[in-house]
Amino acid sequence: MIRFENVTMVYDQKSRLGSENARPGLDDVTIEIDRGDFAFLVGASGSGKSTFLRLILREIVATGGSVHVAGQNVARIPSWRVPKLRRGIGVVFQDFRLLPQKNVFENVAFAMQVVGESRSAIRDHVPQVLKLVGLEGKEKRQPDELSGGEQQRVAIARAIANKPQILLADEPTGNLDPATSVGIMNVLDRINQNGTTVLMATHDDGIVNSMRRRVVELSLGKIMRDEVAGEYTSMIPVINQDGTRELRQANHGTWQKPPAGSQAFAPFDTEDDMP
Amino acid sequence: MKLGFILGEVGTGLRRNLSMVVSVVLVTFISLTFVGTAALMQMQITQMKGYWYDKVQVAIYLCGEHNESSNCTEGAVTEGQRGEIESMLGSSAVKPYVDNFEYESKEQALAHFQEQFENSSMSETVTAEQLPESFRVSLVDPEKYQIIKELFSSTDGVDVVVDQRELLEKIFSIINIASFVAIGIAGVMILCAVLLVGTTIRLSAYLRRRETGIMRLVGASKSSLQLPFVLEGIIAALVGALLASGVLWAAVRFLVDEKLAIEYKDTAFISTGEVLIVAPWLILLGVVLAGVSSLVTLRRYLKV
Ligand SMILES: Nc1ncnc2c1ncn2[C@@H]1O[C@H](COP(=O)(O)OP(=O)(O)OP(=O)(O)O)[C@@H](O)[C@H]1O
Ligand SMILES: [Mg+2]
Repeated sequence: MIRFENVTMVYDQKSRLGSENARPGLDDVTIEIDRGDFAFLVGASGSGKSTFLRLILREIVATGGSVHVAGQNVARIPSWRVPKLRRGIGVVFQDFRLLPQKNVFENVAFAMQVVGESRSAIRDHVPQVLKLVGLEGKEKRQPDELSGGEQQRVAIARAIANKPQILLADEPTGNLDPATSVGIMNVLDRINQNGTTVLMATHDDGIVNSMRRRVVELSLGKIMRDEVAGEYTSMIPVINQDGTRELRQANHGTWQKPPAGSQAFAPFDTEDDMP
Repeated sequence: MKLGFILGEVGTGLRRNLSMVVSVVLVTFISLTFVGTAALMQMQITQMKGYWYDKVQVAIYLCGEHNESSNCTEGAVTEGQRGEIESMLGSSAVKPYVDNFEYESKEQALAHFQEQFENSSMSETVTAEQLPESFRVSLVDPEKYQIIKELFSSTDGVDVVVDQRELLEKIFSIINIASFVAIGIAGVMILCAVLLVGTTIRLSAYLRRRETGIMRLVGASKSSLQLPFVLEGIIAALVGALLASGVLWAAVRFLVDEKLAIEYKDTAFISTGEVLIVAPWLILLGVVLAGVSSLVTLRRYLKV
């Protein structure tokens, strides 16, 4: 579904600051995310998570290597076809990005209007999507009459309104309290179970640890680990840039849900110490 | 993308950016008014040319009692001199240039004068004695006026040879200068309009960056992203062009039709019909300028 081949993204290639100043946002990343996967993208601030997602959307074009989405090399897609690529991808952000003067229904309908859906299709489909994200009966509310969690549900509904095969989420729970975040994760999980590939960048260790899904960790633009059912951090030796090694302590959240399959895979073994 | 949706977006844009839109309307209105004025003045010249060139003649004024010209030292033209001039006009040397000619006596001159200045008090105080008798000559080719002038200027009994076209040319050159001034002003104003449309569209795109950001993410095509903005510019320019057309129509209706045309009865004037010919071009010009200028702006400020 999504395949990165030796992808390097150097911002400001043209600036003459010199190559030592220009640290790549992504550095020689090769990874594949299959159809129907649910993957977390973790890593410190500036490690390249958003860069990774923006490459998939072709908001930016890789300076090296190639990004394939649904079998297409996105760099080769002519600009007039980019909208078509994006119709197959839903996106959710930390700051919701709703239109403040439109109500819940209109915000979701907007995505369908933009791609030219008929009025009757919109009338049929929007309530279904709102139901899926748990917002039945709130169609007429304005965004400022909703809690943060509800606003994020509207944003998710809008992202999936056009039935994309891929859902990208950039820190969708970043502004929400843990309990609300759980609700959002349930929605994303449900969407994933309907067959949508979900890729979520997050700093929320509690969520990652409790969901036990695939975890891809980035550090300074490189993939540090890629585990099938990983945790936010792992008890693994981390090799720092200066060559020193340290042992990172796993930090578990409080949310409890039995891990779906906690078997760990290469490249590193993790210690399964969920309570 | 549905038309209703696009129009809704246009409406939002116009409302949110109202003061800029109003300024675009005004600037296009003024610039197109100048363009239209220039066009109408040119049409007036054409109109007058067509009307006058047929009628205008070379007038050979004959000496009266008190003329100062060197040919008239012996007082008023004599019967013999008049006959001489008349036979010269009919001679084989002159004939090829002359379409027809006609003698106008002092009494006929007075009658023409009174007809022409019907509404003015002058027509009552002038007497036939004050007006010169003349031969009115229509030329086959009005441009050959110089030949007639040379032949008759030194003939005894001729006071002066006047090409009435010269008077008209003076009027035309004044109108021409006026229309060039109008074109010049129009050019500057159009430049203002184009730049202002660009700025307005840019501001509008900035004010709606949230919507366009979302539209881009959910896969809006380039045309559906840009169309609302382009339409916004075009609608503003269209309103300006309609205002300009309306003002020109009113000006022609109330200043020309109801004033000039009544005061100067035997001059041909443009009428509101000419405005109706000019107006569609003004509208087209406004729409094209606004469309092009907003598309160029959007290429830089609203990428897919
Ligand atoms: N538009 C840009 N121009 C230049 N450099 C950029 C740009 N966007 C990101 N970067 C750089 O690329 C690197 C990766 O940034 P990115 O936004 O992908 O990090 P992130 O993992 O999403 O961080 P966070 O967790 O804080 O959101 C950073 O060093 C950042 O400074
Ligand atoms: Mg980020």
